Amino acid sequence: MRVALAEDGALFREGLLMLLQAAGHEVVGCTADGDALVELLASQPADVAILDIRMPPEPDGGLVTAERLRAAHPDMGLLFLSHYAESHYLMRILRIGTDSIGYRLKEKVGSVDVLTDTLDRIGSGEIVIEPVLAKRLVERPRGDKKGVVATLSERELDVLRLMAEGRSNNGIAAQLFVTPKAVEKHIANIFGKLNLHADTAEHHRRVLAVLTYLRSQRDGD
Amino acid sequence: MMLEPAQCAGDAPRTAPEQGTPEESSSAVTPGTPRTAYPTTDPEQATRLPAPAPDARRRSERDQWLRRRRLERQLHDGAALRISALTLQLGLFRHRVPDAEPDLHASIESLQDELHAVLQELRDVAGKIYPPLLDEAGLGPALREAADRIETPLRIDAPADRFGPAAEGAAYFAIIECLAAIDAAACEPVTQKPGAQEPEAHETATGPVEVLVRRDTDEQDGGVLAVELTGVDVRHAEPMLDQVRRLGGTIDVAGGPGSGTITARIPCE
Repeated sequence: MRVALAEDGALFREGLLMLLQAAGHEVVGCTADGDALVELLASQPADVAILDIRMPPEPDGGLVTAERLRAAHPDMGLLFLSHYAESHYLMRILRIGTDSIGYRLKEKVGSVDVLTDTLDRIGSGEIVIEPVLAKRLVERPRGDKKGVVATLSERELDVLRLMAEGRSNNGIAAQLFVTPKAVEKHIANIFGKLNLHADTAEHHRRVLAVLTYLRSQRDGD
Repeated sequence: MMLEPAQCAGDAPRTAPEQGTPEESSSAVTPGTPRTAYPTTDPEQATRLPAPAPDARRRSERDQWLRRRRLERQLHDGAALRISALTLQLGLFRHRVPDAEPDLHASIESLQDELHAVLQELRDVAGKIYPPLLDEAGLGPALREAADRIETPLRIDAPADRFGPAAEGAAYFAIIECLAAIDAAACEPVTQKPGAQEPEAHETATGPVEVLVRRDTDEQDGGVLAVELTGVDVRHAEPMLDQVRRLGGTIDVAGGPGSGTITARIPCE
């Protein structure tokens, strides 16, 4: 895969560059800020751009850079890396795009397998959400949603958490060692219990429905 | 009590206790003693330094908040980034270890997990020094994120306006401490009504706490950050006062002890 990256911390940038190369990816560009990356990618094609959120040109320059990249190259995947996994940033990221987009903790992409899996999923159009964050969203339901989430079976909770990570049916099936058909059944049950419309067949719309549901319990944005 | 991590995290400790104490009657001894102890051997002749003027005290309190914010950034850009980079290096190392060494692979993975745990602890400390989301996005997003960790249901209404790092920091920690006190009080007595069986029934009984953030205009100053907590036991206002008065702020309470309104006003710089 052709990857470009922008990160202002030299130590992390160099480490990521080496790990990407070890994983067999072609790194077409490596910059210390968002503006330089936008300029570089104007002439250089890439499949996925990896962006630090907290970097120049602004306090959260990664988001501004991503908006510009998405406008200029709609097919280019975007992977945000951050020291913090917060739902505030997740919502801002999903406003930039809901396909071929990912948000992960910096220390959680430190293996060839995880890095490649993350990039592959983004490359094939999925949303990738940091499992730590997805877990927090599912495990800390609030207010009136608390009771509803509590009615889910343990297996259904596993499926909900993996859905909140942005995983496809096949991805969920592989994680839980069950058939995709069984996953479909669990998802139908979850959507029934959460009172969500089952017509969100399309993968990323379904993920969004789940995230919006989990998010809406927190009164406000 | 939330203040303590900042005081042991770096260069804050020596000055922080001094900031807090001058308010009290015993205070003037603390800043005076170290300087005068050396030149004179007679304790009778110790010279008490004058207490700082309210303006100077407020200014140094604002500096404290700026320092806390800098400390959080230092953690993020320094230690945290180094540890994250270390996980990448370990990943590279693992990749170079032949597949025939599964034990080594497992050891490297558990080291990476351990580093993740270290970083989680650093994030926790950073959040108690100065929440990064407060710095970057303001009171609304920071309070909503904090609502995740608080049992009491909250309804937050905050504008996108910014009020400066000191006023925002003081308001944030004042609110969080008050809500933590409410959480703690809610945990203690199990005086449930006979009809209530679900855990949520308890919450409906308590009702959500409304947090309203707004700007009150003040003629002399740049403005006042006002925070109104409605539906709270006003006895929890006490810890809030500590946070806001050092910046020249005030607390007003209205309504009975059961469910009233606490209003904190903090002048912005």
